[in-house]
Amino acid sequence: MDTTIDPNNMPHVSDASVSVEIETEDMTLNIGPQHPSTHGVLRLVAKVDGEKISSVEPVLGYMHRGYEKLAEVRTYPQITTLVNRIDWVSGFANEIPFIAATEKLMEIEVPERAQHIRLILTEMARIASHFVFNGAYALEIGALSPMFLAMEDRERVLDLIESVTGGRFHPNFNRIGGVKPAAGAGPTTKKDIQDLPAGFYEETKIVMEKVLEAVERFENLVGGNEVFKARTQNVGIISKEMCEDYGVSGPILRASGVKFDLRTQTNFLPYDKFDFEIPIGENGDCYDRWYVRLIEMRESARIILQAIDSMPSGSLQAKVPKVIKVPKGQSYVRTENPKGEMGFHVISEGGLGPYRLKIRTPSFSNISILPELLEGQLLPDLIAIMGSLDFVLGDVDR
Amino acid sequence: MNQSDSQSFIDSLSSKFNNIVNEFDTLKINVESSQWTETMSILKNDFGLTYFSWLSAIDWENEVSVGDPPKEPVNPHFEIICCLSESIEGNLVLVSTKIEKENASIDSLVSIFAGSNWHEREAYEMFGIDFVNHPNLTKIYLPDGYEGNPMLKSFELISREVKPWPGEVDVEGMPEDGKKDEGES
Repeated sequence: MDTTIDPNNMPHVSDASVSVEIETEDMTLNIGPQHPSTHGVLRLVAKVDGEKISSVEPVLGYMHRGYEKLAEVRTYPQITTLVNRIDWVSGFANEIPFIAATEKLMEIEVPERAQHIRLILTEMARIASHFVFNGAYALEIGALSPMFLAMEDRERVLDLIESVTGGRFHPNFNRIGGVKPAAGAGPTTKKDIQDLPAGFYEETKIVMEKVLEAVERFENLVGGNEVFKARTQNVGIISKEMCEDYGVSGPILRASGVKFDLRTQTNFLPYDKFDFEIPIGENGDCYDRWYVRLIEMRESARIILQAIDSMPSGSLQAKVPKVIKVPKGQSYVRTENPKGEMGFHVISEGGLGPYRLKIRTPSFSNISILPELLEGQLLPDLIAIMGSLDFVLGDVDR
Repeated sequence: MNQSDSQSFIDSLSSKFNNIVNEFDTLKINVESSQWTETMSILKNDFGLTYFSWLSAIDWENEVSVGDPPKEPVNPHFEIICCLSESIEGNLVLVSTKIEKENASIDSLVSIFAGSNWHEREAYEMFGIDFVNHPNLTKIYLPDGYEGNPMLKSFELISREVKPWPGEVDVEGMPEDGKKDEGES
């Protein structure tokens, strides 16, 4: 190759008629652990060639709290407190798979009313979690107002959760065999157990109507925005095969066109009594993932409205021994967490605590596709793609 | 998933595998470690279990420094568990195998399920299990210079490794301690 270049006759890169081969070196770009779009403390080490990403290596562990080890030295009732803090955006939904797996080992039949309360609160946690996603995702794309609107709407749902459980984020409300007596209820005697707080049904109806309104507003405000569409449509396409290979679950899997929802496929809570739709996407791009979550909020609100209309009466707790000892055995229960499939494999040796507790969290598997997904993408799309995966670092690192 | 569907699924599995345990609605297939990758290929291609959920290990050990030991003495070994499911009916199986604790190693599943990459890295650092043919078997959560495998039953929790406080710790003994002493004497 001729190495002498005439400075007066330099080809310009923008000139399409000449092909210029400029050898560029990959630059290493460090993103995080302290970066707003990483939703916590995820660190990405990206190699970029100009604006193109040649490889990405996620670095985990900045939030690793060793819950699986900790669970081996805790009793079953103590572990509920721990699992609340795995995915802190939807604390209540985390408790269900652990409690259900333990109840399965103890062969406890949970009263219908307790199951309904669990279902209502799980769906409320889903709405709260998706509100955070909707606000934060629009913010990452560059729209500020949806964040404020989403936070305001979410607060109403959190108020409802707080009125029942006493906690906004970490309810710790489930007990093995049922739920705890509610926080906001009136005075009680031993015979007359506390239940849902006064005015809960009326308040829920008002808030759910507001959620339905909010979904419509977001659909127009965010979904109808040309900039939002341009940034998300046909960006970060995930195929069905890739989802299955990596164990990607939840709204991401459904956005890729797989109608898989554990709420209808397993019987951890009585979802079969209610009429709701499972939204699925067509392209598996960022826009579909956003849209699937938005529609899920509407469906969750519909489930809650049906559930409070058909609330069974009865007790909140099955009869359980005072000291929880779980018989020897293994059980795996998975549930549809707002972020995807959450499962607990409880291995009991008959003691006060599990011999081993394997925690399968959705976000860990969901972001394990990042190296393959981001390769060859443009750097500005990285934020849009990461945001659309809606992960929480507590859920990744455990 | 209704009951008859899951029963026919179990029946079709038992024609191929002879060691199937179905307890507490959890279906578990026990296989030899030499057939580990082969089993996964069969389950993926012939039984439609194309969805990789998770992979992990259990340290079966009689002498433990955390928690309680197993109820009945066990032959110390690692149990590797991999969870597969299908994305239409929702059938789910756990595949389990046993490996020796000395120089623990097993074939990697990365060529069959790309998603097992991170799960195997986690099992590698937490239990010290070597996954043969893994493309990048490095630590995932723990810092690079970290020594030891925290999920081993012999590994003590750090807070329990603190230097004992000199002199009298509590002015009064805990009520439970007192009871225990009386019972023993």
